[in-house]
Amino acid sequence: MSGKGMRLTGTALAGLGLLGMLLVYSLSFFWVSTELSQGVVQRIFYVHVPAAWTTFLAFGIAAFTSGMYLWLRDERLDRAALAAAEGGMIFATIMLTTGPLWGKIAWGTYWTWDPRLTSTLLMWFIFLGYFMVRNSTENPEKGKRFAAVVAIVGALDIPFIHLSVVWFRSLHPDPIVLKPDRPSLPADMLIVLLTSVLSFTMIFLGLFLLRYALETLRAGQQARAREATA
Amino acid sequence: MSAYLGQIGAIVWKDLLLELRTRERVVAMGAFAVLAAVLFNYSIDRTVVRPQDIGAGLIWMTIVFGGLLGVGRTFHLEAEDGALQGVLMSPVPKDAIFLGKTLSNFVLLYIVSLLVVGVFMLFFGMELGTSPPMLALALALGALGFVALGTLFAAVSSGTRMGETLLPILIFPLLIPVIVFGAGATGRLLSGRPVSEVVGDIRMLAAFALMAVAAGSVLFRFVVED
Repeated sequence: MSGKGMRLTGTALAGLGLLGMLLVYSLSFFWVSTELSQGVVQRIFYVHVPAAWTTFLAFGIAAFTSGMYLWLRDERLDRAALAAAEGGMIFATIMLTTGPLWGKIAWGTYWTWDPRLTSTLLMWFIFLGYFMVRNSTENPEKGKRFAAVVAIVGALDIPFIHLSVVWFRSLHPDPIVLKPDRPSLPADMLIVLLTSVLSFTMIFLGLFLLRYALETLRAGQQARAREATA
Repeated sequence: MSAYLGQIGAIVWKDLLLELRTRERVVAMGAFAVLAAVLFNYSIDRTVVRPQDIGAGLIWMTIVFGGLLGVGRTFHLEAEDGALQGVLMSPVPKDAIFLGKTLSNFVLLYIVSLLVVGVFMLFFGMELGTSPPMLALALALGALGFVALGTLFAAVSSGTRMGETLLPILIFPLLIPVIVFGAGATGRLLSGRPVSEVVGDIRMLAAFALMAVAAGSVLFRFVVED
């Protein structure tokens, strides 16, 4: 895909995703039925769960492209890892802000040491380390390698982090959509959730493409500047 | 294979000999551990909490913070006089260098962890608990997982402008399993619970150490290349 095509596709995807979000908001406020035991506060779930899904998607892409970058040393793979990590940081922040808001009403406390909360918080900090390492080397190429190592070790460590924090008793609601037998969510709630997951994924992919195109432009501009001074 | 082990052995020997002559890192870590225990004593109101109840957690926090002090300087001395370039240019595979560095760090940290446990016994009147060998094993596996990640990220952070400041930010999130399983096993053993209750923790510590050593051996070459 050319740079221009990528920018157009990115803008279109992000725009469609934002329109989808408007739909999700109106559906979740005016259409979907209210959950019996939790009441109105359950509606935050339509933002929280898709944000969680997108964070994991972003982390997966960042770790995978980081590994491929160390192997093939293709600049494009590093750009993809950076773009995914930045997207992941945004959606992890959304997950970490909507979770406590819901928790305050449903659990009576903003923060508990629930496994999924803790894993997400630590994931957020692993992303932070990724950016700090990347930006604190004299030689940008070195920063890219270091950041790739952080992303890969982070991805290997996440299952251990999750297992270990599970040892503290979980308060988090059990999975209700991706569980082995059929989803136990009523049809209207499932429709809103899936619309939201689709919108979040489109926004993420749109931002990912835009960020990737921006990095490509920046690399090209730096190469031209080097040629001009040489 | 034996040549490979010989190369690892040479790195370990060199590092330990250097440490034996300078005594820089082990003294710093040991002094830190004792002083931390003194500070902990004054941070706890003994009429409210019993030191035994929080001892295991404090032991592991001391090991992690003290270990950071020593592990963060793994490459410091060598980088300063340019010897690191020599080690990296020698025909030793990079993973052997990593394993050697990890092993020598492990020896230092393990000495310090045993010292930490001893100091806590002495200062807070804690008992050695159900099974001292199991306690020693939990400490060893936790320390191994810690130094493997610590050595890898010490190489990363010493290559950045921020240096050692970056190290805790990079490895603290990754060390949660060591703390949970290490402190869990230590706490239960110290309070006299049966060994069968800590087998799960010990297995997880072993799995974590294995993952950390394997990841470090593979990824170290990408950190030190050029």
